[in-house]
Formats: sequence, C-alpha cells, structure tokens
Amino acid sequence: MDTTTLDRPSMDLNLSESPALPEGVTYERDLDTDDMVVNIGPQHPSTHGVLRLITTLNGEVVKDMEPVIGYLHRSKEKMAEARSYFQYQPTIDRVEYLSSFYDHYAYVGCVEAIANMKVPKRVQYIRMITMELNRITSHLLWFGTFLLDLGASSPFFYAFRDREDVFKLFEDVTGARMMYNYYRFGGVNADLPEGWIGRVLKFTDTFAKRVDEYEAIVTKNPIVLDRTVGHGIMTYQDCLDYGVTGPNMRAAGVAQDLRKTNPYCSYDEIEFDVPTQTSADVYARYLVRIAEFRESLRIIRQACKQMPGGDTSELNRIKAALAEKNAQAKAEAAKTEGAKFVEEKLNPEFEIWGQKVNLLTFKLQAGEAYTQVESPRGILGCYMQADGTPKPQRVKWRGASFSNLSILPKAMIGNLYPDLMAIFGSLDVIMPEVDR
Amino acid sequence: MSETPTPPEKAPAATEKAAPPEPKVIPPGPIGQQLQAAGLAITPLGNDATGHEMIDVPPEQLPAVAQKLKTELKFDLLVCVTALDLGASRASMVHLMQTVAQVPEAKPLTVVLKTAATPAGQDADGYDVSKVPSLMPVYPAADWHEREAFDLMGIIYEGHPNLRRILMPDAWMGYPLRKNYKEEDPRLVWNRR
Repeated sequence: MDTTTLDRPSMDLNLSESPALPEGVTYERDLDTDDMVVNIGPQHPSTHGVLRLITTLNGEVVKDMEPVIGYLHRSKEKMAEARSYFQYQPTIDRVEYLSSFYDHYAYVGCVEAIANMKVPKRVQYIRMITMELNRITSHLLWFGTFLLDLGASSPFFYAFRDREDVFKLFEDVTGARMMYNYYRFGGVNADLPEGWIGRVLKFTDTFAKRVDEYEAIVTKNPIVLDRTVGHGIMTYQDCLDYGVTGPNMRAAGVAQDLRKTNPYCSYDEIEFDVPTQTSADVYARYLVRIAEFRESLRIIRQACKQMPGGDTSELNRIKAALAEKNAQAKAEAAKTEGAKFVEEKLNPEFEIWGQKVNLLTFKLQAGEAYTQVESPRGILGCYMQADGTPKPQRVKWRGASFSNLSILPKAMIGNLYPDLMAIFGSLDVIMPEVDR
Repeated sequence: MSETPTPPEKAPAATEKAAPPEPKVIPPGPIGQQLQAAGLAITPLGNDATGHEMIDVPPEQLPAVAQKLKTELKFDLLVCVTALDLGASRASMVHLMQTVAQVPEAKPLTVVLKTAATPAGQDADGYDVSKVPSLMPVYPAADWHEREAFDLMGIIYEGHPNLRRILMPDAWMGYPLRKNYKEEDPRLVWNRR
C-alpha cells in the first residue's frame, strides 16, 4: 500500500525554519545542550517484561542506547540437562509463553528427528491448525499492546475479546489456556474433541470480519499513520546484520518464511501467500502482521478441510466400524482355527546404566538435531544433542526475540525519544524468549 | 585357569567398549566439497538428524571459511552460536542459513560449523577459559550470540569488540552452562559470605 498518497492532514510543524523575529531582537539558535543519561526500566509498563534501556538523550533525540537483558533468565538450557526428555517438556512452554505451540514443535521435532520417528498425517494437520491459531493469538496480543503503546486503548479490549475465543478452543483441546504441553514425541496428547473443527471454522468466519473492523479503525487512522510511517526503518541488510527474522524481515521486502521455503509439518500441501512490504518502517511491520491474520485463516480453513479423518465424530464412526469388523474377524478365526488371542503386556523393566530399573524410561539414541520453525516472531530454533542416556546432553534455544531486540539501538539512534515505544512495540519482542 | 573360559571372553569385549570407535571416513557433502576445492582444511562430519550438513573447522580457518560461505555460497544469515561442553574441552558451533533473497529458486540450506576451542589460561576468578576467533567481522549478527556463549560457557571470542556478560550480572563468577559448574564452588558470590 502506498501510504504517501493517502488523503490525510499534514501534521508537520516545519521546525527547521525559525519564526520571524521583530527587528533588533537576536535569536540564539545554537544553545549548548548536555547529554543526559536516562535509565528506562527494568520495570516499565511498555516493555512487556523486564527490560532495561540505558539511553543517552540530547534533548529528545536518542544518541545512544544500550539494552540490558537477563532479568528473566531462568536457565532453560541448564534445566534440560538435569531432566528427562518428558520432564523437561512442560517447562518449555515458558520459553515463549505467547506462542508456546512453536516451542513444543521445535523441541518435539528434534526428538523425532534423532529417534527417526514418523509422524502421522493427522497429527501434522492438528499441529498445523493449533500453531496457526496460536499465531493469531500472538499477533492479537501484539496488535492490542502495540496500539496501547501508541495511546489507543480500545483496540486492546477488542483484541483480548477475540483472543479469548481462541483460548476457549485451546482449552478444550489441551486443557490449558496458555501453557499447553500438548505435543508428544510422534504425536499429540489426545485427539481433537468432537465438533471442534466446526467451531474452528466458525471462528475463522467471525474473525475474518473482525480483522476488517480492526483495519477500519486503525489502518488509515491519521494519528497512527503519523506515528508509524517512515519511523524505525530497518532495511534487509540491517535485518541480516542483526539476525532479525520473521515479520520484521518480511516488512523489508524479502519473503523469507520457513513455511514456504523449507516446509515442515504439511505446509507444502497448503496454498498460502507470504505477505511482504517494502517500506521497512513501523507501518510496514503493522501491515505485514495484519495480512498474516488473513493468511493464517486461509491455512486453517484448508487444513480443516484436508485433514485426514476429518472431524473427530466422523473419525470415531470409522474407528467403531473398524473395531466391529476386527472383532468379527477375530471371532471367525477363533471359530475356525481355535486360536488364542492374548493381550500383549508391557514390560516396564528397563536397563539404565547397567541397572534394571522398574520405570518406564525414554532413552534417545546418540545424535544431534536442529529444528527451526517460523514462529510469529521469526525463526525459533532448537538444537539438541543426545548421548543415549535418558537426559539430553545439551539443548540450545534460538529465540527470535533475542536477535530482534539486538537491533533496537540501531533503529533508535537519531530518532526522537517519544518514538521509542512505537519502534520497540513494532519489533514484537517477548522478554522471556530473550532471556530464556 | 582352564575351567574359566569366560574372563578371556569378557576382556576383549571390555577393551572393545573402552577403545574409541574407529574413525570413519565421512565423505564431504556438497558444501564441504566446495570448501575443500577452495583449499580450506576442513573435516566433514556428515549430516545431523535433521539433514543439515556439519563441518569441523579448525580455529585458524574459521574466518576464511565464514567469508567464503558468506560471499560465494550465499549463506547470508547467522542463525545462532552455540557453545558446547565436551568435558575436557569446549567447542563453538555456528548455524548459518541462506535466505530466499539469495537463492530465490532453490531451497535455502543450513550449514553447521563446529570449531574446537583452544585453551587460553584462566580468567580473573580462576576459571579455565578457551578461545575461538570471533565471527563479528564477517557476520555482525554474531554480536549478542557470542556474548551469550562467553557468558554461559566461558569461550573468549577473539576480535569481538564488546565481549561482556549479557544474561548474568557483570559480577558473576564462573560459567553456569558448564557440566562441572557446582553450587558449592567457594569462588561463587553467595558462598563467600
């Protein structure tokens, strides 16, 4: 969208020209100003977490900025080395708490790659639907808080209303609103509840209309335009120099999206576009995320239609019919051959470090894997090194926010202090993912 | 002696276990072949479970290999730097990726470079540290990632302009991600009270 042709009142104050002075009055223009160091945070309502920015200001112009991070460091990587693969899994919801399905996908993907597990098609589709719904909730929180930072408070309430609709869907599947712990190695915890697919499709219809409503309020709003257009420009080369990925990179004109370029799950069977913008400013990043709402809805609709087994009620009918058929076949076989069917019993005795332990233990063969996934904030990677024991040797998280935050000084230096929250908000940084 | 045939049988089994596995000759992948053709002394390590090519790079070759990968093989995005604890020594690992702007037709690849860290004495608190050349001159995105690896594993990235702790407080002693990091260490802040 070309924002320069929009019909809107100019709010330029034309500060470069000094007002006409009466005769005989001189005007000293070059006043000496001192640099002032302002400490922002760590507790600040707009930092969405705990972030400290040591800022050097000259007047209102930011001359230098140094982010201080680590206030939320919970040593997620060290925790992995002290827990078994299953015990660690519930804790990784907290790596990035706004879109934790992605964390789980990256972690579970590593284990599946090392164990050489095949994931059923239906599971891939369930994962894809839940991840895309999660992208919507994550972008909705960004939408609300970003505009709240700009001073608009009503979008926040609209966004949270819609977010709650998705959380109800998640709660019925996983039992939790935000900390899901739903994916399992090679599958998911439980199948979808009956009628869930229908409710998802209903949500996609209502939400599509609501995105239009959001755009009607925000997209051409003159105040939003004046605060976002042309501010915080991050070119493609800047993004590479700081490792910035995701919507922030796509706003710089490059359609870098792992779902398209390196398809995981079953994204190669789905038709969707990668929205991009070329102006690389705050407004472009806003537009990319709004367009991603619509693309996510497109993916969810197609995935619901193409999912093997379809809705759960239908699947249950098929299962019941199959079970009946099997029972009949067994009865027939027993009649004719006199065969005996014995249920196989699981032996819980495993050998760990040369000792027999009466425990169900999951051991992963030695190997290493690196899974990356296109999270709402960019590339989320998980590196895992397994050594054949029940605990991982090393787990490394590559959080998208960690790299996205590192560009903040570059984007801020030379800009006005009041633009800080517009630019910082547009990066969509989540502090738990930065500090891990 | 004659009625116990089992010990001689057990003994070779034990030595077989203790002996290091025979060094398998791993053929270089497509990226490793191009690096070797350019005269760079690298050792291919095969693919990891997710299919990314892994390459062992000697420390002195790392900047040249990275430069070659960036300019000629189009790996323009540094994804992450990982520090590994190998028990007696440490290693630094970097994941490099192609972006779709560089390879619009092909599927973007990811390559893993592993570099063994060389011992570099002790730091001011008496902890062993090791060093690896920094990738900052080639990939500026390595900045925070290398600071994190230094902070948590004590690898000094030579040539990094601002190598300070990033996640832990500046006064922190020791490197928490190491396997031998102990809470009872007398050098730690809370144990000195």
